[in-house]
Amino acid sequence: MTDVKSYLREWAMPHVLCPGCAHGIVLRSFLTAVDQLQLDQDKIAMVAGIGCSSRLAGYVDFCTLHGTHGRAPAFATGLKLARPDLNVVVVTGDGDALAIGGNHLIHAARRNIDITVLLLNNSIYGMTGGQAAPTTPEGAIASTTPAGNTEPNFDACKLLIGAGASFVARVLAANPMDMTKVMADGLNHPGFSFIEVISDCPEYFGRYNKVGGGAEMLTWMSVRDEGVSGPLSDKRFVNHIPSSAPPPGLATGVLHNELRPVFSGVRKVGRS
Amino acid sequence: MPEGSRGLLLAGVGGQGVILASMIVADALMRAGHDVKQSEVHGMAQRGGSVFSHIRWGERVDSPLVPLGSAEVLAAFEWAEAVRWVEYVRDGGAVVADIRTIVPPGACTDRRSWLRRYPGIDGELFDSRHLKTRLIDATATATDLGNVRAANSVILGTVAAFIDIDDVHWEAAIADLVPAGTEKINLAAFRAGRQVAEARVPDAAQDPDGFSGPHEIEIRHDWCKGCDICSRVCPEYCLAVDVDGKLTIVDPEACTGCRLCEILCPDFAIDIHAPRELAVVGTNTTNESSA
Repeated sequence: MTDVKSYLREWAMPHVLCPGCAHGIVLRSFLTAVDQLQLDQDKIAMVAGIGCSSRLAGYVDFCTLHGTHGRAPAFATGLKLARPDLNVVVVTGDGDALAIGGNHLIHAARRNIDITVLLLNNSIYGMTGGQAAPTTPEGAIASTTPAGNTEPNFDACKLLIGAGASFVARVLAANPMDMTKVMADGLNHPGFSFIEVISDCPEYFGRYNKVGGGAEMLTWMSVRDEGVSGPLSDKRFVNHIPSSAPPPGLATGVLHNELRPVFSGVRKVGRS
Repeated sequence: MPEGSRGLLLAGVGGQGVILASMIVADALMRAGHDVKQSEVHGMAQRGGSVFSHIRWGERVDSPLVPLGSAEVLAAFEWAEAVRWVEYVRDGGAVVADIRTIVPPGACTDRRSWLRRYPGIDGELFDSRHLKTRLIDATATATDLGNVRAANSVILGTVAAFIDIDDVHWEAAIADLVPAGTEKINLAAFRAGRQVAEARVPDAAQDPDGFSGPHEIEIRHDWCKGCDICSRVCPEYCLAVDVDGKLTIVDPEACTGCRLCEILCPDFAIDIHAPRELAVVGTNTTNESSA
């Protein structure tokens, strides 16, 4: 195994993300998956929109494309159609993909184009100052919901299964080994792979909701874990950090996996 | 022991294939026409506990147990087990030991004290008793061949050099007893182990230093943001963030190399380096190269 740092643009490091932000753990897991699969760096295109999560594309030594807010799946669709030989990976956030780019995401899923989408869900708009996102849980405090969010939140995985994504998984940033495994499966999957990573925002979500810093937020997500396909590995990383009342559970693991025709932009007409 | 009967002891850790290896040894000896008795202790060990097996062979064997200080060969699949059982070997006997270290599962609650109690790898331990020592990295050899689970066959290959029966019996026993589909790799592993036994042990393998010990923690302070995740997840309390938010190593000796901090560091600021490369007596060592 090579050092995952060899996949980084070291000159761009250290990254801009806040102390305790789990996006860096997600990046490391993704690079580990790339390393395990021995993918060619020049054959990976990482496409990002706007947001904290989308900054990750700036630190990886792959082909990278930084697009407009929410439109990363649209850029990725065009790129994949023009260059089917590339492994196209979209790295996006919850606000980016589910609110501003909701349409692009669901239609890319519907077409089942062969791209991998990593959605880093930190339950809030981090970069712009902690506004409530469609993934902010009901009752949670954000800068735009100082008395608690009054709206229910999205279950991104259910949305994507409904939209037709052929591989849908949810993993926790607190379980990086599981995350690497699922990411490798997602990269290998022919068709639209959607991986929601429960990440954290200690700076806004953790501070406003008094969850705590990075370590506490990792615990907070790991106690929510209700693995559907059983734990992928038996390593549980942050168990011994004490936590207060556990929030409602999250189904994690590979939630949906099917093989169906992959979109190539060409209509296949049967011979008569 | 009765005249003409000899003993072999196999010791390892649950999951390494000690019992299968002892079945193969017993089968090979029987094929060679010996009377064989074998006795093992397992079951309580599950994965990660100590597993051992006594084998005695000769014209007539009455008891399967090998008395203290009389074994011809000790085949240890793990270093601590080699140290634990070496007393059973007669002076001038042979010790075949895998230099892999497996810190026992009791360590899950407190790996620090266990690692400190773990015996250092020291070939001299055996020299004083004029033992013929073969320290091998069977795990690495088997991994190179394509399946880490063939490590037990590598050890058998080395052991075979000290037991005077024909290789055809060994190979027939292996082909018969290993799981279907793995015959080829196990036979290749056996032959690789056989080569190790024939190669002269280079001095490096006898080096008492550097085989085990704490891992080295390297911190890139210019990347570290002092978020405190690493120090909170470290099971050994090696790391701490000081009042200035700077990460410091408070107990470098305690690191067991679990890499939790490395994997969970969002800033790529921690690297864990294994103790100095294991000196491996590999299949590529020959009498010429070490002369």
